[in-house]
Amino acid sequence: MRLRLSDLSACFEGVIPSIIATASADGMPNISYLSHVVRVDDDHVALSNQFFAKTAANVRANPHVTLILVDGFTGDQFLLDIGFVRSVDTGPLFEKIARQLKASSAQVGMADIMRLRSADIFRVHGIEKVPCPVETAPAAAARDPVSLPALSEAIKAIERQAEAEDIIDSLLGGVQRVLGYDHALVLIYDRHRGCLITTGSIGYPQSGLGSEVAGSDGLIGASVTSGQTIKVNDMSRVRRFGEAIGREAEATEDMTRRVAFPQLATALSQIAVPMTAHGTVSGVLFIESQERLAFREDDEAVLEILAGQAASALRANELEAAAAEPRRAPEQSVPAAAGREIHIVHHRFDDSIFVDGTYIVKGVAGTLLRLMLEWHLSEGRSEFTNREMRLAAGARMPEIKDNLETRLLLLRRRLAEKKAPVQIVRIGRGRVRLEAVGPIVLDAAGE
Amino acid sequence: MCIIAAADASGRPSAGRGVGFHILEDREAIEIIFSAWQWPRLEADIRQTGKLAATFVSPSDYVSFQLKGRATLRDTEALDIGRADRFITAATNELESLGVPRRLIAPWLTVREAKVVQLAVSETYVQTPGSLAGMLAGTRLS
Repeated sequence: MRLRLSDLSACFEGVIPSIIATASADGMPNISYLSHVVRVDDDHVALSNQFFAKTAANVRANPHVTLILVDGFTGDQFLLDIGFVRSVDTGPLFEKIARQLKASSAQVGMADIMRLRSADIFRVHGIEKVPCPVETAPAAAARDPVSLPALSEAIKAIERQAEAEDIIDSLLGGVQRVLGYDHALVLIYDRHRGCLITTGSIGYPQSGLGSEVAGSDGLIGASVTSGQTIKVNDMSRVRRFGEAIGREAEATEDMTRRVAFPQLATALSQIAVPMTAHGTVSGVLFIESQERLAFREDDEAVLEILAGQAASALRANELEAAAAEPRRAPEQSVPAAAGREIHIVHHRFDDSIFVDGTYIVKGVAGTLLRLMLEWHLSEGRSEFTNREMRLAAGARMPEIKDNLETRLLLLRRRLAEKKAPVQIVRIGRGRVRLEAVGPIVLDAAGE
Repeated sequence: MCIIAAADASGRPSAGRGVGFHILEDREAIEIIFSAWQWPRLEADIRQTGKLAATFVSPSDYVSFQLKGRATLRDTEALDIGRADRFITAATNELESLGVPRRLIAPWLTVREAKVVQLAVSETYVQTPGSLAGMLAGTRLS
């Protein structure tokens, strides 16, 4: 059987270094490792031109090149005869190679050393499998193909939802049902503060709701910045991206105002998929797996479809909510709660909220709770519409108009998770109720 | 780890993996063991043109050197196979300690139909990624 590049997909993950052999015009060979080979199409590969000067010079003097590629799954080796075609240093192909190189060189801990300046395109003349002295493990193809009916069902499930909470839960449920991944997060992008906030979570002992990742940090940051899916498929040799994010225990939340980012300590693969609608990235779907090379091309395609669907649904939800909500909840008198006093502190400098000394949330979500508390205390009412919050907070936080629903969701979830004596309950489309077990004392600190 | 390359008379390179080495007493030459069963083109090209490049890499820190020069082939002796077996064991253990599963390494390293190529070293290069990459070893930095 004639081998094609598409049969070698597990060789292009950058897990096991490739080898490049060249020869100078006078026939002296040269050999070195190569961090990454990118498959361009079925007849061409691209090599990052960050390899050594001698290799680059040889390739230009003598276009015959031999590669050894290694299947990251089985260890099988392949010899490729390739011929230099041209160099690229701009354009979509160059960008694609640069992205893949970035993800895979981070994989071997050399992201800083390997910075792509140009890429060389080679035509593949022949591929042969290197004789193998042992029986290798079954190839990657052994896995069942993705079920398209299951994918279709997952898309419909997201489409049916009208509320941010249900959209995010349907997305996470879809990831679990269609691909079988059990550890996943949805992070919503806070453009104003330049960070991503965990707003949905499955599979972790601590949900990590409210934890934040800087928009420039690791896989998740790279995905939001580039608008591209980025993955790491073998973390056994990598500094773990998660580590940079911070591992404060829950116990320190009240001091640091930082929620610990959820960690799957035994993860070997991670993928970050941007949630994009109308060209705008609104968040990132992040998944971890304990398998090496877990995320293959078809996984990426499925995740991009699901993440895109959820991003569109969230956007539609914000637009509809902004247009359709009643302006203000009807007045109703609230009997004074009879329990013990609840002390709530709001710090204006970061809009953080503490309930009886327990850190809940900061940023937009904190502002929203303060608004509701102020209305509750001054007007005696406990029911509020999203629209009145949008109008009231919008002057100070213009960015709120695009993401009020997801921030409100984060606030509700954090209060519930911390079992706070004050809770926000959804009572209908675009309406919530503040429920407290006792009278509230609000301390607006730092003013 | 050790990787080696030769080229045929038309300039087409061939490549393969070494599975053991031995530095000769004069320290001007090195013998490298490879499987001619696994890398037949390498054997043919060395016979044809007699030029060889060999790169040695420490997988934990990427420190690498490349040696180049004229090469000749000989058959293996019992001593060579013992060296190769020890090299394969050590390389497998080191890669495994870096997280590469043992079952992935096994396809790369074999002594089947092993040959010994003797390389008379005429050039030595630093190949560790970074600012010194590609420099002739021993070059003074100005």
